[in-house]
Amino acid sequence: MKKKTIIILAILGGIVLLVLLLVGWMTGIYNSLVKSDEGVNQAWAQVQNQYQRRFDLIPNLVEVVKGYTAHEKEVFEKVAEARASVGKLQVTPEILNNPQLFQKFQEAQSQLSSWLSRLLAVAENYPQLKANENFLQLQSQLEGTENRIAIERMKFNQVVQEYNIKVRTFPTSIIAGMFGFSQKQYFQPEQGTEKVPKVSF
Amino acid sequence: MKTTLLKISILFVVLIITTLTIVFTKDDLPVIRAHITDETSTLSRGEIKSIEQMLDDFERESSTQIVVLMISSLEGQSLEEYSYRVAEKNKIGKKGKNNGVFLLIAKEDHKIRIEVGYGLEGVLTDALSSQIIRNIIVPRFREGKYFDGIKNGIEAIVAVTKGEYSNEDSGDNRSFFSLAFVIFFIIFFLIFSRILSLGKRSTISPHGYHSNYPWWGGFGGGGFSGGGGSFGGGGASGSW
Repeated sequence: MKKKTIIILAILGGIVLLVLLLVGWMTGIYNSLVKSDEGVNQAWAQVQNQYQRRFDLIPNLVEVVKGYTAHEKEVFEKVAEARASVGKLQVTPEILNNPQLFQKFQEAQSQLSSWLSRLLAVAENYPQLKANENFLQLQSQLEGTENRIAIERMKFNQVVQEYNIKVRTFPTSIIAGMFGFSQKQYFQPEQGTEKVPKVSF
Repeated sequence: MKTTLLKISILFVVLIITTLTIVFTKDDLPVIRAHITDETSTLSRGEIKSIEQMLDDFERESSTQIVVLMISSLEGQSLEEYSYRVAEKNKIGKKGKNNGVFLLIAKEDHKIRIEVGYGLEGVLTDALSSQIIRNIIVPRFREGKYFDGIKNGIEAIVAVTKGEYSNEDSGDNRSFFSLAFVIFFIIFFLIFSRILSLGKRSTISPHGYHSNYPWWGGFGGGGFSGGGGSFGGGGASGSW
């Protein structure tokens, strides 16, 4: 009788210990996943900041260019259009788990990129505009922002890669699956930013 | 069907990124050992020395690290990418402050860039960096006055970034350290010569001491080591 209770107690103790170990292990993995997830969100916020910065720059830039190049209507319209469609986008971190939305976001931003470079190309034809200090400043701000976007995108991809590796490798993948950590989207290399869209005059 | 396609494309992207990271980490980017490095031999020794002195003094005073690199050609690499990578690799600027500025000149390409660390983006804005390049550096470079262009450009950067950060730690530590070292050395020297003079000959030539390490620069001036600063792509590019 006594022996039996001791054995049962020992087994129970063993189970409790095992469960505790398991819970501890899971907590560790869970926390590291949360940390990575937050890292991705933070990197995304940085990307977002830079895109927002560009978004805010556009009206001033267009205004200055308009002052010198009144008859380049189409470019202005297209820039405004592209900017508006970017403005309509949903940019919460949720987008990172949704390939379709993320794709849309990328397309809209790269559309805007190409129209902006078109706008600057147009400006090249107006020597007076090119000599305008205000324009030069806005241009340098836009270029700086484009460069920042490129770098934040690169950093974002690195962080996402780390996260995705965690989510997909065993045994972390089990915990990730249990708590709904899913893979996140990468930024594809920007296509067509160099290609300036054609405009008919 | 669609999911397999998606999986394959994801795999593909991951592959591209991994290769990119490998390419990025396996670099042959220059390791910077001085505040100014001229790989093109355009500047004279005296000119380099005077700029080095100026930048070293400014770092001592403000902790802000300004680094100049003049290369002959980018060999087809993008100016912005190269500049960012060199600045990040050499960790220009202090950790936590991110107060580094990197002035890159590609002489044969006629390209120039000011790369601004995170911590200085607020004062040395893109627009201002671009102005410094356009109005100060480029006109002088066009006349072939490289030294003047660099010097005046740096002066402008110094004027803008002055007062943004102060050197509250390393400078004092450094002078304390050097003082302690000198005292220690004198004591050591005295004891040592005493011990030796106990022997028959007491011919010790007092070398004094001078650092043999050019990058360390003794206690006088010069030398550069990155402080752990980080960059985010701020700054401006130009050409002449």
